[in-house]
Amino acid sequence: MTVPRSIDFEHLKPEEFEHILPDLFATGDGKVSQDPRLQNFLAANPDCAALVKDLETIAETARSLFEPVVDPSDRVWQNIQAKLEEDSALASIDDDYIDPDAPID
Amino acid sequence: MTQAPPSRANPGLFKRNPPIAGEAEAIEAAQKGDAEAFAKLYNLHKRRVYTLCLRMLSNVSEAEDMTQNAFLHLFRKLGSFRGESAFSTWLHRLTVNLVLMHLRKKGLNLVSLEETDNSSGEDTPKRDFGSRDPVLAGSVDRIALERALAALPPGYRMVFVLHDVEGFEHNEIAAMLDCSTGNTKSQLHKARLRLRQLLRSPSLPPESSVFPESAI
Repeated sequence: MTVPRSIDFEHLKPEEFEHILPDLFATGDGKVSQDPRLQNFLAANPDCAALVKDLETIAETARSLFEPVVDPSDRVWQNIQAKLEEDSALASIDDDYIDPDAPID
Repeated sequence: MTQAPPSRANPGLFKRNPPIAGEAEAIEAAQKGDAEAFAKLYNLHKRRVYTLCLRMLSNVSEAEDMTQNAFLHLFRKLGSFRGESAFSTWLHRLTVNLVLMHLRKKGLNLVSLEETDNSSGEDTPKRDFGSRDPVLAGSVDRIALERALAALPPGYRMVFVLHDVEGFEHNEIAAMLDCSTGNTKSQLHKARLRLRQLLRSPSLPPESSVFPESAI
């Protein structure tokens, strides 16, 4: 799904705009409000312009959420350590395993 | 604190995930079985991995279990890390895959646009044209966004977190979710529309239901 070449941006209708909006956001840098092809349309359709602005604001704020904010409880590391120790103990049992049927030298 | 990214890798990956000082040495030592080095890697990345799990799952207990799983997998798979992407990107991908596997086991269909939404229309993002009250006014409080995010249906939340927060491309998300890029674009758009609705609504869930142990 990409923005169809046949779209006439000069005579765009709100429902057509709504249909192509996901692709408009997915192409370029996502700054739909600055797309030169849409300036006349957005100026003539303030609700569409408000929608675009809001969606851009949401996407922009989402980027600031990338920085982590929460530590897991200490229990997580304790469980990891316990599990690794358990695995290591099992591995050493495997290493020490002597086949009872093996011939004695 | 950070070093210049290696030139061989995709610069886009390092833009948001620059290598951390001392990380490369810790990886190398941990690959040789050094427990202290592995503990260092845990301390360097626990916050980011846990926050990612919490955002994707919106459940503290499940997020902790997934964090634990992610680091246990890391311990076992560390030997296969070749440094072709940033370590944190690699670890994120591993974590995302584990969370997706977990959600699939729970029976959540991550691909179908309809099934990620719990209704046949009432809950679906409505057309926003015609409403003349754009209250976001050019800014959104990040805490409010966290709260709204936690209230999204899981499929929407997943695509939104992967694309808008974590910075994955549509083709990467489509590969992870085993669907088309058209699907992820549409899903992302619906997620943003729903968030807009939630952010304009006065009845967002309280902050404590998002990050109960929040350090915000």
